[in-house]
Amino acid sequence: MADRKKGAKRPKNDMLLLSRLLQFSDSTLPVGSFAFSNGLESALQTEVVTDADSLQRFVEVVLRQAAHMDGIALLHAHRAITAGDYDGVLAADQALWNRRVGEEQQLMLARMGRKLAELSLKISAFPHLERWLAGIKAGETPGCFPIGQAMAFAQLGADEKQAFVVHQYGVAAMIMSAAVRLMRIDHLDTQRILFAAQESVEDEYASVCGLELEEMSSFAPVFDVLVAHHTTTHVRLFMN
Amino acid sequence: MALHERLRRLDDYRELSGFKTEPAQMRAAGPGKIGELRLGFTRRGDRSVLSDLYRVAPLLVQQALYWDEAMPELPICAIISVGGGILQGDRYTIDISVGEGACAQVTSQGANRIHQMDANYASQHQEVVVGADAYLEYLPDVTIPYRDSRFINDTDLIVDESATVIYGEMMMTGRKHHHASERFGLDLLSMSVNVRRPDGRKLFTEKVLIEKGNNTGDFAAVMRGFDAFANIMCLTPPETAERIKARMDTNWLDENPRAISGVSALPNGAGLMLRAVGIESYDVRREVRRFWKVVREEARGRTLPEEFLWR
Repeated sequence: MADRKKGAKRPKNDMLLLSRLLQFSDSTLPVGSFAFSNGLESALQTEVVTDADSLQRFVEVVLRQAAHMDGIALLHAHRAITAGDYDGVLAADQALWNRRVGEEQQLMLARMGRKLAELSLKISAFPHLERWLAGIKAGETPGCFPIGQAMAFAQLGADEKQAFVVHQYGVAAMIMSAAVRLMRIDHLDTQRILFAAQESVEDEYASVCGLELEEMSSFAPVFDVLVAHHTTTHVRLFMN
Repeated sequence: MALHERLRRLDDYRELSGFKTEPAQMRAAGPGKIGELRLGFTRRGDRSVLSDLYRVAPLLVQQALYWDEAMPELPICAIISVGGGILQGDRYTIDISVGEGACAQVTSQGANRIHQMDANYASQHQEVVVGADAYLEYLPDVTIPYRDSRFINDTDLIVDESATVIYGEMMMTGRKHHHASERFGLDLLSMSVNVRRPDGRKLFTEKVLIEKGNNTGDFAAVMRGFDAFANIMCLTPPETAERIKARMDTNWLDENPRAISGVSALPNGAGLMLRAVGIESYDVRREVRRFWKVVREEARGRTLPEEFLWR
């Protein structure tokens, strides 16, 4: 109990919450996102992405996919933990994992989830994440990143919309960070694209906030081939 | 679960809520609109047989034939649609079971056409049960959704951990050669797959959902100007999956490929997934056959004969 008291308290005002959410959405947060390109590396090799415009459309597709898949699981996990329903969190974790195709996509999902839990426990006390991490280590739950985010942000006092925003932002920021290292594009262009990509967040939330876990869906056949493509390429900078 | 219960569950899906009007023709889900098919395969001596068959028009299966030269013990059934395609208000259930140690191939007579609709929708529920050491190839021909069509398909696969199943759908974005507005002219295409073990453990779920108004259809990461795609899963033990994966290169070499494809791992050791995208259905079918051949060779030690000239 003493540990819990010392742990991250629910903030009394919005300022502390905003500050903590900025920390958790910072691209330098060491959860391993720097090692993943989320398909961009293969998209460049196959010329699905060639310049700033096609990069922007790529990010739009990935954000849409993320909202209709990971975003739904995150919202359900957030609601479950807020209601004190830990089994509901595990159900969301398993439901998302059962839908992830591609060994590298699976690796990204589980590695970042575990790292987020470990990092959070280093910097403060997060009792739900502690229990979740024990479950991951015991092989009882897969440990998907958006589920860890949902629990961490709920404890910080973020509502589900805020949690959704940080999640979507993280997806776009990761791809932009990879883009700077992979293609001929400067930091100003990636910031411009990142700025524009955020405009869809309210629409994406509105389109998925009423959906059940069973309604997680996707449609991006070329992206799905890119996921497979990356596992068989020889020249690789990123893990997916 | 009773037939009507399964179909009613589909009726409640959110994406169908805007399509509840009654057709001016025969009423939705009325007599003549509910097609039912039940196929049971068992092993008998050195070969497998179609030992259970129940059918209600507009779905039809006739006798199992044995025409695969590389697998003479393989019973092959083609699903025939008496109605010449899927019409508004149609409700189908298809049940396939393959008993312990048996093998079977189920395919369709030709392209599965989902006709234009101005009322209601069409739905289909499939349940595929594959027993220990059994082997099933269930590869229907390409599905073509016409303009304004609405189709929902839910498939449950219950697969023993020693069995191998190759199952999947090939899809067109529409009747591209008929009219430009047919491309992504559909109202709704909703295709779900749920894979689980006989003890109920869930392995893999996927839902492909295309609704009108999604403007990303032509983005490079979605269809890149291609018109056909396939999601073909191979549910098989991990050792077999490893051998298959090792033999399957990604196909994305040319500057202007006719088709691209690659194989990815499914979660929970369920097996593999072939993803293919191409210009025409036969371009995608070629990729599917490449995968199919490797799956059959690694799972059954038999090859896949050349495609017939008249296909």
